[in-house]
Amino acid sequence: MKSINLKENQFIQFHQKISFKFDGVKYFGYKGDTIASALLRNNINLVGRSFKYHRPRGIYTCGIEEPNALVQIISEYSEPNTRATIKKIYEGMEIESQNRWPSLENDFGSINNLFSPIFTAGFYYKTFMGPHKKFWKNLYEPLIRRAAGLGKPPKDFKGISNHIHHNVDVTIIGGGLNGLLAAKSFINSNYDVLLIDFEEQLGGIINNSNKISLIDNKEPKDWLKETIQEIEDSKNIKILKNTLVTTYNYINHLIAIEDRFVGSKPIEGKVNSTLHKIRTGHTILCNGHIERFLSFQNNDLPGIMLSSSFEKYMCRYGLAPSKEPVIFSNNSNSNSLVYSLIKAGLKPKAYIDSRSGEEIEPNLFDLIRKNDVPLYTNSQIKGAFGNKKIEKILVEDSSGALNEIKCDCLCLSGGINPDVHLFTQSKGLLDWDEKDLTYKPSKPFQPTITLGSASGQFNFDNLNSDVNEKLKTFKVKKLDVKLELNTNTKYNIEKLWEVSPQKKSLWAKSFIDLQNDVTTKDIRQAITEGFDRIEHLKRYTTNSMGTDQGKISSINALGIVSDLLDKKVNEVGTTIYRPPYAPLSFSAIAGRNCYEFYDPERKSPIHSWHLKNGAIFEDVGQWKRPWYFQINKDESMHDAVQRESKNVRENAGILDGSTLGKIEIKGEDALEFMNLIYTNSFTKMKQGSARYALMLGEDGMVKDDGIICKISDQHFIATTTTGGAATVLGCMEEYAQTEWPNLKVFMNSITEQYATFNISGPKTREIMKKAFPNINFSNEEFPFMTFQFHEFNGTPLRILRASFTGELGYEIYIPSNSAPKIWDNIQSVGKEFGLAPYGTEAMHLLRAEKGYIIVGQDTDGSITPIDLGLSWMIGKSKKDFLGKRSLTRSDTIREDRKQLVGIIPSNKADKLEEGQHIILDKEIKSPVPMLGHITSCYHSSTLGHDFALAVIKNGHSMIGTKAYASTSSMSTTGVDIVKPVFYDEDNKRLVS
Amino acid sequence: MLIINCPYCGPRDQSEFSNGGEAHVKRPDGSKEIGDREWGEYVFIRANPKGLFYERWVHTHGCRKWFNCVRDTSTDEILVTYKLDEKKPNLNNFKSVVKTPSGEPEVGSGNFTVEK
Repeated sequence: MKSINLKENQFIQFHQKISFKFDGVKYFGYKGDTIASALLRNNINLVGRSFKYHRPRGIYTCGIEEPNALVQIISEYSEPNTRATIKKIYEGMEIESQNRWPSLENDFGSINNLFSPIFTAGFYYKTFMGPHKKFWKNLYEPLIRRAAGLGKPPKDFKGISNHIHHNVDVTIIGGGLNGLLAAKSFINSNYDVLLIDFEEQLGGIINNSNKISLIDNKEPKDWLKETIQEIEDSKNIKILKNTLVTTYNYINHLIAIEDRFVGSKPIEGKVNSTLHKIRTGHTILCNGHIERFLSFQNNDLPGIMLSSSFEKYMCRYGLAPSKEPVIFSNNSNSNSLVYSLIKAGLKPKAYIDSRSGEEIEPNLFDLIRKNDVPLYTNSQIKGAFGNKKIEKILVEDSSGALNEIKCDCLCLSGGINPDVHLFTQSKGLLDWDEKDLTYKPSKPFQPTITLGSASGQFNFDNLNSDVNEKLKTFKVKKLDVKLELNTNTKYNIEKLWEVSPQKKSLWAKSFIDLQNDVTTKDIRQAITEGFDRIEHLKRYTTNSMGTDQGKISSINALGIVSDLLDKKVNEVGTTIYRPPYAPLSFSAIAGRNCYEFYDPERKSPIHSWHLKNGAIFEDVGQWKRPWYFQINKDESMHDAVQRESKNVRENAGILDGSTLGKIEIKGEDALEFMNLIYTNSFTKMKQGSARYALMLGEDGMVKDDGIICKISDQHFIATTTTGGAATVLGCMEEYAQTEWPNLKVFMNSITEQYATFNISGPKTREIMKKAFPNINFSNEEFPFMTFQFHEFNGTPLRILRASFTGELGYEIYIPSNSAPKIWDNIQSVGKEFGLAPYGTEAMHLLRAEKGYIIVGQDTDGSITPIDLGLSWMIGKSKKDFLGKRSLTRSDTIREDRKQLVGIIPSNKADKLEEGQHIILDKEIKSPVPMLGHITSCYHSSTLGHDFALAVIKNGHSMIGTKAYASTSSMSTTGVDIVKPVFYDEDNKRLVS
Repeated sequence: MLIINCPYCGPRDQSEFSNGGEAHVKRPDGSKEIGDREWGEYVFIRANPKGLFYERWVHTHGCRKWFNCVRDTSTDEILVTYKLDEKKPNLNNFKSVVKTPSGEPEVGSGNFTVEK
């Protein structure tokens, strides 16, 4: 295919040469060229190999609908599957073809084409899904993955995108003729309008074809310039160029992606795309139409392209891909290509039309006759032939005779479809038009208006009245634009989906989906095998499942299927169009919500101290909590945890508990409210005392726990688990507002306002005395489960005597800003008593030794307080609290419920594992009746052996018996079932 | 994504709200004897109609207020939002205007049988 540059083109700067590399070879294009137009200029038409059969493929279209010309942009972090037909070139761009090895010309995989008769629809399912799944995993899948596919995934993710939100009255999608007319109506109106176009230049069909000769008695490009100027000057209209609307959600919520580096290399570290999230009152779809192709033998050869695409290359890129293309059409849309060619001084080698002579428009007839173009009416192309490019075609003329025509380019037109993707994404309904042979938008589901060819108006005669009628809901100017056309005015098409090949052969291929290598034979086979519903057929054959979503071919498939089933196309239906309209990168969707901004990190006020002191962190919800502290690099986690826990038992430890949820509850009826929310009764509780409390769901299961401090009947402070803070506050709010709105009570989170230090261990009292000399910490003055307000050097403190470790302990609540100072002070005075920080892992070990549960670890949403052996916490005299009635449901009073017990290995040297099953038999013989499982398991250096908490069926009555725990090596360990408390059962250390 | 008209703050994006399930489900009075069935229905049983539905929402990332609404579950259209202490609107006042309630196309969903 020899291309020719047409001089004089407003979009291409012929004086500005640009060099780029394709498969390592340097070529030149001009400023304004896409990769496809630049390659065509260099007479390159073989640009890739196909997905399955590795057939040579060329450039088929001139826009976003491109199925074949997908390339890998090496110079942009190796971005794969880029459409060559829309990506603009820039100086130094490096491009590679895809899916070929070792080279594009000599592709080893093209051997697949030889075996193609066996690779039909369902081949993989039938062949590789046999009983030997190992073969699939280890042999077939890796082989197929190597052989099939498109581009290679990029190694590095570097794209940066930001998100912009818009809130407008009207969004016009598409800046072609109708989009501009709609925008023109809105000039200086009271509506906020967004006009979005995918291209750099507005104008659509005015730029892409020679269909229109005059608008308002002006040259189209002059009219265009004036109109765009008027729209740009209008204060209420904003234009987004290079922006593709990919998604149309409910309610009128659009997602559009803007390319910020069109025709230049993205600068590293700069935003290269913007995702626009648009909320609009009305959406006006003016996104035009897409031309479809036709199926005949070898309709995929390089050198075949759509006729409107050929015309677009001429008008938009100043380039005729061939000097004498053959045109094959079944409709009037390709008339303007004939006109454009002749206007440019070129001549089609032949014009082949499946329609009869009477149906062909008279002005096209005249044009063809006058220029001596060989005309074949009532004729069809039986096949195209050639080696890696089209060389000749076989035409069956009206008499049935076969004519061979040598050619280097074939332009196809199978009719046009309104671009209904966005309309159907919005859940609008389509209807089949029997005359125009296409699906057209019929009933919108949302405030959606379609204009022009996007609405199925393929003629220009009702232009003004259509726009005026559809925009009458708005207070806008009426349009009166006069159009004159170069070619026909009435769209005319004859039904033709597929031409059968001349010779029946197993290797003859008529493609219906170029990107996924689906042939019309596959469609037939799928129907024969019973996959005759369109959604099944799509998945079985992979028709229209490529990245182009069958934009130029899916309607043809429906036509073929309707013929085969002898059904109307409306009865066959379409597959569902799903967003996005065209692929958009994950980096665009992620925007700035990636890396450290993916999920906020919450840090305690002491975080920087932890960093300096060897803390290894654990994520608890969004919080970063010290898991354990490494005193030197060689210390293992096990050693650190044993050291920390031992130090708490022998001396004293300090834990940063600032992440604990803290909720302040105030109001006249706060006491009544707290009695309703928690299981415990707070009525008789003294002011200044604290209580461990449980919160249930209405189903009676434990949802959260915490310590409640009663300041007065009107004022409480509750702590929650670190992960449960938001849920607990949400639950309190819900009940306060929805169930008991009569109660005067208010609550708020004070989690981040206060830091919390938990100090515990036998030497804690000495440390506290020294750190806060003004406070009396004696057992009499400051007994267990009480709290006091104090002030230290101007900082208000709330000190609570409580413990989660089983040792004498205090919790200090300090306003966050003053916390680091007091933390440092405690560290320095505590040194002489052996005070050391401990992390969450040591805390877990210490609390487990004491049998204290962790909600979410030892409970799983199916455990009641009775199962935990915490019946004493239930305020039985209370009339009501959350979940109270559920505690007497038949299921919750069942005897064989799983209950919390302690587990120790019968042989103290044996190890236990968290999550393992507790079973009755030593031998594992399936089926194995399971009693329950280990919820927490640790090694205790205080006890000198492993121990665990577990929930097992009927556990409370099994205490004192023996059982077995399974192990990860598929054996069992003998265990003793004991009470879930391993240390200081009488709480002597706690209250002394 | 929906736009929800918070009765306190005005129309806001759905991402600011959380759904709270069926509205006007009365919690049985805890001071009285509650039967197993009555309590079981309160805890576990909710209506799940295709069509008009009384629903609770909370403006989680806003005023934290709970409110009620009538939503057409087949079209996702929120017909009215109202405060908790307001009377619940009569469903007969609302007519679903969309013929195919879930918005699936009358033609072209591929979900219906092609007769042979």
